[in-house]
Amino acid sequence: MKKVFALSLILALLVMVGMPLSADGHERWDGADDLAVNPLACGMGDEMMTDDSDDMAEEEEMEMMEYDGGQPAMMDMDMAGMDITLVDVPKLIGIGYFAATTLGQQQAAEELGNVSVTTDAPTEANIDDQIQVIDTYITQGVDGILFAANDPVAIAPVLRKALEAGIHVVGYDANSEPDAREWFVNQAEFNGIAKALVDSLADQMGADASFGIVTSTFTTPNQARWIAEMWAYASECYPDLTWLETLEAQEDAALSFQQAQTLINKYGEDMDGIFAMTSVATPNSADAVQQAGLCEDVAVVGLATPNGMKPYVNAGCVRDVILWNPVDLGYAAVYVTRAVVDGEFAPGDGSVMAGRLGELMVVNGSEVLLGPPFVFNADNINDFDF
Amino acid sequence: MQSAPRNPTVVEKLRRYLISQEGVLFLIMLVAVLFLATRTDKFLTVDNLLQQGRFMTEVGLIAIPMTYIIITGGIDLSVGSIMGLTAIVLGWSWQELGFPLELAIVTGVLSGTLAGFVNGLFIVRVGVPPLIMTLATLALFRGLAEGISQARSARGYPEWFFELGQGEVLGIPTQLWLVIVSVIIFAIVLARTQLGRALYAIGNNETGARFSGLRVNRYLLLIYSFSGFMSGLAGYIFVSRVSTTRSDMGTGIELDVIAAVVLGGTSIFGGTGSVVGTMIGVVLIQLLKNGLALSGVTSDATIVVIGSVLIFAILVNNFVQLRRDGS
Amino acid sequence: MNKDKAAPTPRRPLDFLGIALAVVIIGTYFLLPFVIQPERGPSTVAVLTESKKANELGIFKTGIEIVPLAALGMLLLGAWNALVPGAARAISLLLALAGLVALVYYINFFRDYAAEQADFISQMGIAFWIMLGASAVAVLQVLIPRAVPTPRYRPAKLFGNQESVILFGLLLLVIVVGLANPRYLQERNISDNLAGNAYIAVAALGMTMVIVTGNIDISVGSLVGLLAVASGRLVVAGLPAPLAWLTPLVVGAGFGALIGFLVAYMRIPSIVVTLGMLSIIKGILIIWVQGERVTDMPADYFLSQMRPLGIPMPIIIMVLLTIGVALWMRYSATGRAFYALGGNAEAARLSGLSRRRLVMTVFILNGVFVGVASVMYSTQFNIIQATPPPALELSVITASVVGGVSILGGTGTAIGSTMATLLLNFIRSAMIFINISPFWLKAVQGLLILVTVLADLLRRRRQRL
Repeated sequence: MKKVFALSLILALLVMVGMPLSADGHERWDGADDLAVNPLACGMGDEMMTDDSDDMAEEEEMEMMEYDGGQPAMMDMDMAGMDITLVDVPKLIGIGYFAATTLGQQQAAEELGNVSVTTDAPTEANIDDQIQVIDTYITQGVDGILFAANDPVAIAPVLRKALEAGIHVVGYDANSEPDAREWFVNQAEFNGIAKALVDSLADQMGADASFGIVTSTFTTPNQARWIAEMWAYASECYPDLTWLETLEAQEDAALSFQQAQTLINKYGEDMDGIFAMTSVATPNSADAVQQAGLCEDVAVVGLATPNGMKPYVNAGCVRDVILWNPVDLGYAAVYVTRAVVDGEFAPGDGSVMAGRLGELMVVNGSEVLLGPPFVFNADNINDFDF
Repeated sequence: MQSAPRNPTVVEKLRRYLISQEGVLFLIMLVAVLFLATRTDKFLTVDNLLQQGRFMTEVGLIAIPMTYIIITGGIDLSVGSIMGLTAIVLGWSWQELGFPLELAIVTGVLSGTLAGFVNGLFIVRVGVPPLIMTLATLALFRGLAEGISQARSARGYPEWFFELGQGEVLGIPTQLWLVIVSVIIFAIVLARTQLGRALYAIGNNETGARFSGLRVNRYLLLIYSFSGFMSGLAGYIFVSRVSTTRSDMGTGIELDVIAAVVLGGTSIFGGTGSVVGTMIGVVLIQLLKNGLALSGVTSDATIVVIGSVLIFAILVNNFVQLRRDGS
Repeated sequence: MNKDKAAPTPRRPLDFLGIALAVVIIGTYFLLPFVIQPERGPSTVAVLTESKKANELGIFKTGIEIVPLAALGMLLLGAWNALVPGAARAISLLLALAGLVALVYYINFFRDYAAEQADFISQMGIAFWIMLGASAVAVLQVLIPRAVPTPRYRPAKLFGNQESVILFGLLLLVIVVGLANPRYLQERNISDNLAGNAYIAVAALGMTMVIVTGNIDISVGSLVGLLAVASGRLVVAGLPAPLAWLTPLVVGAGFGALIGFLVAYMRIPSIVVTLGMLSIIKGILIIWVQGERVTDMPADYFLSQMRPLGIPMPIIIMVLLTIGVALWMRYSATGRAFYALGGNAEAARLSGLSRRRLVMTVFILNGVFVGVASVMYSTQFNIIQATPPPALELSVITASVVGGVSILGGTGTAIGSTMATLLLNFIRSAMIFINISPFWLKAVQGLLILVTVLADLLRRRRQRL
């Protein structure tokens, strides 16, 4: 018995010895998954809102890329103009962000009049539960599925099954493998978000600032892509920025707060900014900075919905919050699906009309781009309510 | 029951079955299924039921060893983490170490078994209470999965790999065969073999079992390793079904499994329970989830219903058993 | 079982091995920069750190702090050994561990050296090799045969209970990490760590009582989420802040009473009831608020952000409640009855304790503590997220059981559970301070939980001997 105990202790020790060996302390985490990054041209702020340069880049891509989405099996009935039922399956329900996309979908449904959308998703961001929910709606028989994938690959088989069953499949917020859906409504391109975030920090704290990152988990695809793009953009345009550390905080408010505190305490005056990558991490990182009384010294730049950030922006502790408009995102997803059903939007088209949003461009083959990322600040944040 | 059977012993027998734990649960399930079937005609179809069978495979497989473990008065909270670890070891040894995929599968499932064995070893030899041990390994195994994977996921498996998770054999999802065979074998093992009787004996009175000459340690080590093996297998099936590996796979599945096991009439204090009951529990939860969703109930309301059914089913069973024992 | 007090064993040179090794290593460590770069002058820590920061000295790249830290450990062990020679065996094992830790650095160093093919290894000088040698000796000394001392030394005397094991672990962690990264010890960090986890500690107090009676509650996380949102919504709706603080306590007690009723009177096992309640409460929360965060709370609502006498409120609440519960569990009739109930329900029944009433009481109390925890949680930030804190029930249960609460009931203390909460959460941030790879954080955390549990078991076994 003693031997087992000693053995296990030694085993434990070996693992601990192995850990520092397997990593060099300050390992930068660059978003993993080895996908190609595509940093935008350097430059500050302005063009973000006027979207000239962005569009230029996109048009080039558009010419380069063929449509690579999937197509549903042909149905006998032409559904154009008829009433359709859509189901919306976000990553999870019960959080503010997806409540906002749902709101947008309901607005679109009301405007169109011939669409009804119900939102249903697991109560936790769990890949298997999401698959089951989608499968159930395939069985139930809907005309279209809107989704925000918890995992791009894991969700693909069930989406293909939907396509085979003749159901239209349109993604938003978080993509799947391209051939498993017809279109993906891209809220803003990864490189655009990355640029907006990095530009904002460099503008606030200087091009030689150092910063930490609070993200959800290393395996969350969107966050991983943003960070990879941020790295690419920063190393091209702001080589003097110092990357300190990336910490996981799940989607946990208290943990986000504590991780931000840890960054503040660990780096002290050596840290000028925190990037927060989720709409939970951003307000709670801001809270940590505010409670530490460091609003002037540490800039929090993050992705978050305006309602969650108003206390901090209005108090002057956070200057820029970067996001697309999730209400518009949900709204656009419904319009795109309607257009697809009506046959007004087909592979090869370069744009689609989306109600109050006007004409949306197609990028990357089969993605509909909502627009450039939006920057909320003290001037405009109180105009939004989601 | 219009045509009353003439043989009174059959009635007796039937009555005994019906008021057993499993019988009551089965009746509850029957009521639930019939109710759901009246709400939507999409529910009670062969296709749908088979598809649900596919979805409940992982929980079903892990629930078998969990039943064994809970019968002995133990618990294994680390099953979800073992699933994640298996998935990661599988993907990592295939993609990073360059193992042939067949070997990678074996490595993955073996590492799951090893993880279960480590649980068992500490529980048996060092005397760590199962709940504490598996709470610790719940974090440890998940951590190992994250550490090994370095947050990278392995994708791009060849077509044949998906056969188990997405294919069909004789019109029935491949993995469902595995569940059916496992359930039959391990239900018999529990009910009819010395091992099974030993597990009940351990659960009723561990010290007594030791004194009566049962090799308690060996049995315990065996079932915790078995739990690791089944979790590993479930991990493999899951990877095959969703075509990718992530270190967070299987998060929270331990609660689903435990819910199914206790719903199936296995006492959390040990000593009673059956694989059949557990399977009814697994099926009941899965069908409720699916049936409610098909009849237009959203997930938030569904979890309320499932939580209530869990409490209600045990409540009803308590009353029935109380009356049976009383009469 | 040898209880007779024999004459103390005479000191032998071997008893001072630990001190000797430590002195050698620490001495040579301070010589090191001087040896490598004589022109830099006096060999002080400041110079070391500076050189390290400037990355001038290749030798300092991968955490040379480990070496003097390990030596410091050896020094402590050596001193211990000199004072209590009876513990020689255990100490020699620990000494070997310290040596192994020191050797980690060299493994790392040679790995880096091989990678960069640097030529500074020839310039390392004697100090470097002495340090390496001394570390190796520390590992090898475990093989030296030792006289078996009588009476047999029992660490049980030093670590008489789980609280002191955890306290020791906590101190060790803070000291070691503090030495590796002095910023860890700054007042703000310690107080952030204490205040940020206080709500978990308070929830763990309730859980401890529940587990002591042989029950469990896994619906804690959902309930904290629900009560936090409820409290926030009430205060936004215009309820005075103190009432908004009290409401969760009352509602929590209500949920506790419901759970207690089902467990005590309906005889459903608590794990089943609370598994069910976990989903039910979460479902209710989502249906009710639909993910909408609560903001715009009035300024006087933020209880957790108050600092009476300069001490953060959560720390005060945590300390007061811990002491209160500890005393109450030990001295009140009901508190003692909890132990009796968990230890031996039958005996408790025979001695006239009403099992049902006790179970009811313990779940209601637990509900109140969850209520307190939820207020501490909701008043911590300027916005309240509408989702339950993920996996909170696991943190709470882990804290309770690591704190020495036997899951079979009957033993456990409030102080142990609070300290375990602190230890577990201190570990998390400590590992960030010493730059453990983020991918391995969770594995190390799990390992440390395991080690804590094993240390406790070892203690119990020794006590039984």
